[in-house]
Amino acid sequence: MIITRKTLDRRTLLRGAGSAIALPLLDAMTPALNAAKAAKPIKRLGYVYVPMGSTIAEWTPACPHGKLTELSPTLQSLEAMRDQVTVVTNMELRNSYPGTHATSNAGFLSAATAKWTESTDYYLGTTADQVAAKTLGKDTRLPSLELAMDMMSMVGQCDNGYACVYQNNLSWSSPTSPLPAEAHPRVAFERLFGEGGSAADRRREAKQDASLLDAVRERIAELQSKLGPSDRTRVSMYLDSVREVERRIQKAEAEAANTALPDLDRPVGVPAAYADHAKLMFDLQLLALQGDVTRVISFQLARETSNRTYPEVGVTEAHHPLTHHGNNPVKMLRVAKINAFHVSLFAYLLKRLKETPDGGGSLLDSTLYLYGSGMGNPDKHDHTNLPVLVAGGRGGRHVRFDKPVPMANLHLTMLERAGVNIDKFADSNGRIVDLGEPLAL
Amino acid sequence: MMGTMRCVVVLCILLMPAWSQPNVRAILDKYCTGCHNASGRAGGLALDSASEIGGLHWERVLRRLRARSMPPAGTPRPAEAAYQSAVASIEAKLDADFAAKPNPGRTGTFRRLNRTEYHNAIRDLLALDVDINALLPSDDASYGFDNVTVGDLSPALLERYLNAARRISRIAIGIPGKAPGGETVLVPPDLTQEQHFDGMPLGTRGGLAVPYTFPVDGEYEFSVRLARDRNEHVEGLRGKHEVLLLLDGEPLQTFPVAAPPIGKDHQHVDAHLKLKVHVKAGPHTVAATFPRKAFPVIETERQPYEAHFNFYRHPRIQPAVYSVTVNGPFTVTGAGASPSRKRVLVCTPTGAADEETCAKKIVAALARHAYRRPVTAKDLAAPLRFFREGRAGGGFETGVEMALRSVLVSPDFLFRVEQDQGPGVYRVSALELASRLSFFLWSSIPDDELLRSAETGALHQPAMLQKQVRRMLADSRAKSLVTNFAGQWLYLRNLQQTLPDMRLFTDFDDNLRQAFRTETELFFESILREDRSVLDLLRSNYTYVNERLAKHYGIPNVYGSRFRRVDLPADSNRGGLLRQGSILTVTSYATRTSPVIRGKWILDNLLGVPPPAAPPNVPALKERVIGNNLTMRERLAEHRKNPACSGCHNLMDPVGFAMENYDAVGRYRTAEESGQAIDNSGGLPDGSKFRGVEGLENALLKYSDLFAGTFAEKMMTYGIGRGMEHFDGPAVRKVVASAKAQNYKFSSFIMGIVGSTPFQMRRGQ
Repeated sequence: MIITRKTLDRRTLLRGAGSAIALPLLDAMTPALNAAKAAKPIKRLGYVYVPMGSTIAEWTPACPHGKLTELSPTLQSLEAMRDQVTVVTNMELRNSYPGTHATSNAGFLSAATAKWTESTDYYLGTTADQVAAKTLGKDTRLPSLELAMDMMSMVGQCDNGYACVYQNNLSWSSPTSPLPAEAHPRVAFERLFGEGGSAADRRREAKQDASLLDAVRERIAELQSKLGPSDRTRVSMYLDSVREVERRIQKAEAEAANTALPDLDRPVGVPAAYADHAKLMFDLQLLALQGDVTRVISFQLARETSNRTYPEVGVTEAHHPLTHHGNNPVKMLRVAKINAFHVSLFAYLLKRLKETPDGGGSLLDSTLYLYGSGMGNPDKHDHTNLPVLVAGGRGGRHVRFDKPVPMANLHLTMLERAGVNIDKFADSNGRIVDLGEPLAL
Repeated sequence: MMGTMRCVVVLCILLMPAWSQPNVRAILDKYCTGCHNASGRAGGLALDSASEIGGLHWERVLRRLRARSMPPAGTPRPAEAAYQSAVASIEAKLDADFAAKPNPGRTGTFRRLNRTEYHNAIRDLLALDVDINALLPSDDASYGFDNVTVGDLSPALLERYLNAARRISRIAIGIPGKAPGGETVLVPPDLTQEQHFDGMPLGTRGGLAVPYTFPVDGEYEFSVRLARDRNEHVEGLRGKHEVLLLLDGEPLQTFPVAAPPIGKDHQHVDAHLKLKVHVKAGPHTVAATFPRKAFPVIETERQPYEAHFNFYRHPRIQPAVYSVTVNGPFTVTGAGASPSRKRVLVCTPTGAADEETCAKKIVAALARHAYRRPVTAKDLAAPLRFFREGRAGGGFETGVEMALRSVLVSPDFLFRVEQDQGPGVYRVSALELASRLSFFLWSSIPDDELLRSAETGALHQPAMLQKQVRRMLADSRAKSLVTNFAGQWLYLRNLQQTLPDMRLFTDFDDNLRQAFRTETELFFESILREDRSVLDLLRSNYTYVNERLAKHYGIPNVYGSRFRRVDLPADSNRGGLLRQGSILTVTSYATRTSPVIRGKWILDNLLGVPPPAAPPNVPALKERVIGNNLTMRERLAEHRKNPACSGCHNLMDPVGFAMENYDAVGRYRTAEESGQAIDNSGGLPDGSKFRGVEGLENALLKYSDLFAGTFAEKMMTYGIGRGMEHFDGPAVRKVVASAKAQNYKFSSFIMGIVGSTPFQMRRGQ
């Protein structure tokens, strides 16, 4: 991360926090963050998950396949970014059937089948963001960033017979390694920017952590030698984690040598209002991308089976039971209201990405964000005709398929657009050729 | 002779497969195979197929027979005596098989301490209470508990462990950060602050108390902000008020606060609520509250309770605290004598010569407790290397800090490792047993006494095991069975995120949310501490309330914020778990009750006969608009018309209907919101019918063995850290049988579990 000392107004940095929430703890200076002027243009990928599908009639734009001439009621808040939005209609997650909440979340980025188990033998697939992180994350301190909104795991809310890992974790770095997501804004902030201190302090910390990790690795290897084959596999995953953290520490150490840390406002707690919390988490994503701390982000904007109510948009019924609407049109419109509210929070991020200069254009020009749900019609728990859109780069398209197309095709295409070339992803059987132009860079 | 004959007969029966015993076969043929046959395969079962029946998990069949939930109510069913004899035969067979060839199951070789366990381990190792939510992420649950799927170690988690170790070691040794650090604690926004809070000085109202561990002796700054409305005006600020700042309950200073002239903004109203004071290292409580004004602002005696936090509907009458911040240290006067330093620094070097000896002593004591076993010279090599590194860069204590950091990131601390002792079934070592005990009963590491009894091997003797368990249950750390076990079993954890609709439930506030949790925790704890029968969870003539909760329940003559035990009259609507606001609220939606959720909660968590998972691809209901004038019962009846739904909802809904006298926040009612009278008639899957919560409780108590079995199963899942499998059935039954002989005393379950095969043994790979 290269920090220029150009000062920005603090409020523009953590605007979602609201003045009462982002108490300035480090009041000295607020230098601006600027992405590294890398030799090659930087490409970035983001993924936002919303639970329990949508009222699809309110989501799908009326316009035919081709130019996105007008937005649907649910997507109205994206109007200012319409030429950078591509709505993809009729995506499907075949491997998420039979329909459940657990497999909606688990399948969204993996397109894989979640093994039906509540024990430690859970098994899914490597998710698209993690495939991306292996390439795009090589040069950044964090290969990827996983964020969420729920601070506590709820009890008794996971689908029958499925371990909660499927419902709670969007990103999996291997079929057996779910990545925990951070919902606490301050903790996420410190993951991105550390805890402060001078360059010399941080260099010393990094050295200490590195030598602590050496000892951890030695001990794990020692334990491994005494194990049976299946335990040995698990322990070799621990060693992978050790190596990855070592890499991050080296990176941090190198950065500490030539940069000062930003004196940004640290978010002090978790904002009580859902929208404030969500915007703060989006602010953090903007900072992470802008500072080039990471180039891959996943964010669970709400969790499957969430019983959150949305009084701010006049929906006082809990989200989950409301989605079992039995085709009651009143209830379906209320679900659509929640869908539109979620989209409006995402629109906040897009707007800020668009306002943020990067290279010759904006950060939105060099970033592709996938937004959507792994569930189609929540009343039926199906995984077909998913509400999905891609924002960033060049867009303004409505890609409308007559028949269901694997979601994996979209993942594969997005990975390619970001410069990650693989032949196949999960159950992909092709590419989405009409996904706008390649990223404008 | 007769005796021998009987023995031979019994032996023969035990050797026969369960399904070929005549009393079992007769029931299967007459009542079961009509649906569960090779062609129909209802529920995936073919009880007429000789090839399949051998591999059947008979525990599944047993479960349904014991609850009399199969054959379904309303179809021809066996006589009660036939049920009993079939159940007894199947159980005897399964138990005999288990006795002949015990299968203790296999816990993971590597099990990470989860967030709660890590917090408690730091508390017990270092005498330090840390804000764990700011250090580690939450854990994913399986089988209802968050200590089951704990075999993972992602890079993000490892980073968090490194950071946590750094922060914790600094506070423990008393080494301040490079710059003054700070902590801001926010008050829940829906907390009413018009009345006195428990723990605050008498004569005050509202406020916030923040427990904080001060790393060193030094000067710290406390600051307070007041709650504001959407217009950035301090709420309830009319005329003059005072804010009182306290440290450990002693007043530090009183600040006047006054409303600015009309039209002026409120930006600086609370800017002066700041104070720099010298504080000694260690845990202290910083609090801000308001001296109560001389006039009674709210008359609580005759009026119903009103929440005050909501600007538009129930505005605050007086100002409220929004946050309390602790910043510092600004000037450090010394490392001080905090409990953590006393715990860690067990010796002081007299000079450079004996520093290494002293460090070794410190590290050895730490590592033994942290690793939960005797330590070898090899174990100490790494921490001592870090001690020397730290010593070189700083002083002796910096060295100890580095050594402590290395202990806290060691896999020996972070993981509970149970290595296979050969491929077959084996007894876990006394040291492994000690950890199993302490993590079960305390959610923490063993203490010195437990470790010693394991080191000598004495813990393997039943008498010593009993002695240790009794001692541990009496210890305050056993509270984790309330907060951690019951918190998850009963879903109390979900209360924190429960937000009843503000328009419908205008008096719901955080005060009530906290009171709900406290009531159930105190109630559960009374069963534990007084070693009562766990059946008392369902039938009780007492409970715990404070004024806030008593008002909500309509219990008269309870004043003040302190919780106390109240005896309830025979006709009270309160008492057991099913009448408590906590349970009633977490099983409701924001706007209404849900007989479905309540019914499912009881079947899952009390009776242990969970309804099958909702079928995949729930078919869309025909378009229909249900009028609002229908009662809840009528609406659900509409739903059950669909055959795809009725199978399970016929089981769940009637159970929940019996609780309809309690609304979505647990208030007693006799009519629905629409004005229609409540119909509280309900039923169990066995076809029994009853009215109201009392009828439900009596029906559940009729199946006290099922309830006890479910309680045992949940507790074993939590205590052993893996889901209960079909092969665990006999072990669970044994726990229940011995508990039954002791009148289902709480401790009899604990004793049964710690003595059980799955707890004492493990299967190697």
